[in-house]
Amino acid sequence: MHPRDLRIESFTKYPAQGRALAIANPHVLKRMPLILLPLMLGQIIQYDWSFPPEREQILLHLKFLNHLDAASFDALMSSFSAIPLSNELIEIDWVDHPQRFSEQLTAYLWSQHQIDNYHRTAQEYQQRLQTAFKPVPPAVPRWTIVVVGRGSQQTEGPLFRRLMPQGTLFTEIDRAGGLDMLLDAVSLRAQQHPLEYGHWYIDGGEPHPRAAAGVPGLVVMSYTKLASVAKQEFALLQQFTNRASKGGAIGVEAVSSYIASLTPEDLNLGGTPIDALLRHFEANLLTHGAGCQIYSTTFVQWASRECLHRAQPLTLFARFATRQSSAPMEQLLARDPLMQPQDQAGSLIDADMGAYYTWINQSRLAGADQSRFLVWFENHRLACAIAPPLAAGKISTAPITMGRLLNLMA
Amino acid sequence: MSSYSGYTSTGYLQQIAQQRAMTRRSFIRSAAVAGTVGRLFGFAPLRAAPLPRERKTVVVTFGGGARDEETFAPEGQENIPHLMNELIPQATFCTQVVNRGILGHYVATASLATGVYERFDNFADVAPRNPTVFEYFRKGLGRPANDTWVIAPSNGFNRIGQSDGTQFAPGLGAQVILPKHLLASAISKTSTNSSGFDFLLQDNYENPLYTPPAVQSNVQLSRLIEMLHLSVDDFTHHAKTLSSADELSVYVMRQLMRQFAPSLLWITLHDMDVAHSGAYSLYLEGIQRTDRLCAEIWQMIENDPEYKGRTTMFILPDFGRDSDFSASGNGFQHHRTGDPLSRTTWMMALGPHIRQNRTVDRPLDSLDLLPTLGAMMNFATPTASGKPIVEVL
Repeated sequence: MHPRDLRIESFTKYPAQGRALAIANPHVLKRMPLILLPLMLGQIIQYDWSFPPEREQILLHLKFLNHLDAASFDALMSSFSAIPLSNELIEIDWVDHPQRFSEQLTAYLWSQHQIDNYHRTAQEYQQRLQTAFKPVPPAVPRWTIVVVGRGSQQTEGPLFRRLMPQGTLFTEIDRAGGLDMLLDAVSLRAQQHPLEYGHWYIDGGEPHPRAAAGVPGLVVMSYTKLASVAKQEFALLQQFTNRASKGGAIGVEAVSSYIASLTPEDLNLGGTPIDALLRHFEANLLTHGAGCQIYSTTFVQWASRECLHRAQPLTLFARFATRQSSAPMEQLLARDPLMQPQDQAGSLIDADMGAYYTWINQSRLAGADQSRFLVWFENHRLACAIAPPLAAGKISTAPITMGRLLNLMA
Repeated sequence: MSSYSGYTSTGYLQQIAQQRAMTRRSFIRSAAVAGTVGRLFGFAPLRAAPLPRERKTVVVTFGGGARDEETFAPEGQENIPHLMNELIPQATFCTQVVNRGILGHYVATASLATGVYERFDNFADVAPRNPTVFEYFRKGLGRPANDTWVIAPSNGFNRIGQSDGTQFAPGLGAQVILPKHLLASAISKTSTNSSGFDFLLQDNYENPLYTPPAVQSNVQLSRLIEMLHLSVDDFTHHAKTLSSADELSVYVMRQLMRQFAPSLLWITLHDMDVAHSGAYSLYLEGIQRTDRLCAEIWQMIENDPEYKGRTTMFILPDFGRDSDFSASGNGFQHHRTGDPLSRTTWMMALGPHIRQNRTVDRPLDSLDLLPTLGAMMNFATPTASGKPIVEVL
């Protein structure tokens, strides 16, 4: 099928809002090169479960393309159009299964040594969109607070080495009530700056009782809640591979496509229509991430990345816990991760790196130069704060309370 | 196409990434120079004694991808004390080896072995299309089958020993040992419970639920065990003292060296690919173990009369892993973006005719390995795309 052959009926299987969006933009969709179109269709299919910033991006993207004259449109797409596609790719049902197309496309581009060319083209396209959109910084500075080391007593190696050059290292934090003060600050921001999916709490273990009880305006996620969902995912995957392998060898792409097709309902992620968006996000985390199903540290890092990427929150509170000890993969896939011996030392190393990646991901968002970032070794005296009022690469050895530190960052 | 990734182009993340890229060459060079200091007052000849009549070559690849940040960059050097302090001072060290091919472990390692960027699906059960170094070696020098072996992880590497036959007659390839399969076969012949060997039977981290096709029959495996003169009981007993698949591979390598003293031996270590789980600490442990095993392999060479003084060892990762600053990746966890840091890695060569404490800063291509081996061992490699690395010849 060629993009020009798209009809209103092509989108009958799309969710309601996504279908309406596709039907409202036939001109753009029919003219996009096939190599790019399934990406757009994938976003349109997900539109019903997209966060507000994602929706805005899709709408801006379509609006931008709609306003281009024919010559400009073709010029913008020319680099994509110049990449040849195989007949096998063209014959994929890319309207209803754009994910499948993307997986096959990736393998194809690698095999044809076109992946670098594709990346280059995509980056140029992205930059053109950036120039056109002019991303707007948030109304108030974004805050990310990462807490590491829950359940870890001490560290053999220095923490926050990668973050220190960007901020100030505090070595004499008053530990008393530190976690509560941080939660107070997060709750206050949720109250003062109400925003749909604008304030998040992500925990690698049991959430703090206050978060678990519910804080108005705060989205709460935890590994302990989703560990059983991951087990269900593995069970379904096992069934699929057993079924599929009876018909001969199955490819990695088939396995990936199957995982990506799993819905919250498949994964027993129950809920109400009101929280459907969050359940889709949770399902998406577990079906698109690697390792986040078995290791809580990977879960917090990946969930924080995806949260920042997709929801672009005003506030993110990410709290790492210990992960289960390493084991052969078969055991990791089969056993209950919450009932295993914990690797305290390894978890702290994972969390330290996870904090660094969380800062990087926050720094990719609009308003990064005004953002605030704090990482604290839970119940210890050590923290690193990155904020415009604080000097970079400095060490403060003066005693300070958590509340005072937050004030310094503000 | 959200605004998310675009900020790397204008923000300070890009500045940091650029700084890292710009200093890459200098920090790796500093690592090599650091090794020089320790050797300054020792006897470090530019070239060793006259070349031995029959050379042997050992190639160690990391089929797990390793980044500079965790190896030769200043912050990574603590993970590789053996490479830094024991091997670098004896080596010629190439600071920029660029892999321009597909960043999948099997296909990339196959490309190293053929000197051509292979294009097959990394997860497919296929042989390399182009002739392998093992075929060139055996045909060119008229060597028997037992003179070249490959020890590799089981996630698809079983066909790496011989090309698909379109350009080279079958039967001249290397014998490939997948230690995991060898151990599983040995266990099946004893009353031993396999549960104690779980860690050794694990060598597929990227797609843990994807099972590659069965590759070696029980007959083949039994034959291998006999050829290596392995007592099944001794083998399984010793295996119990090991803690990773790579340790098992090195153990099997030792048996091969004792039994056949092959002239061309290729081993792919894979533990560090546990990075795909996202646990940074486990990735570091994998690198630290690999560092130790590289030193052990060199000691095995130095302590074996069949190898000592006549063996060149090459060590190189197949490629890197994604940069922390590549927006489409997730840092060390994968190797999917094809960014420059994931494509650029290093190589070292050690041996009696290799100049010590030397750094090669010019960019090399991964494909240069094969013609270098050919030039060094005196066999032709007509289809290889790379060029011999003159600095190690």
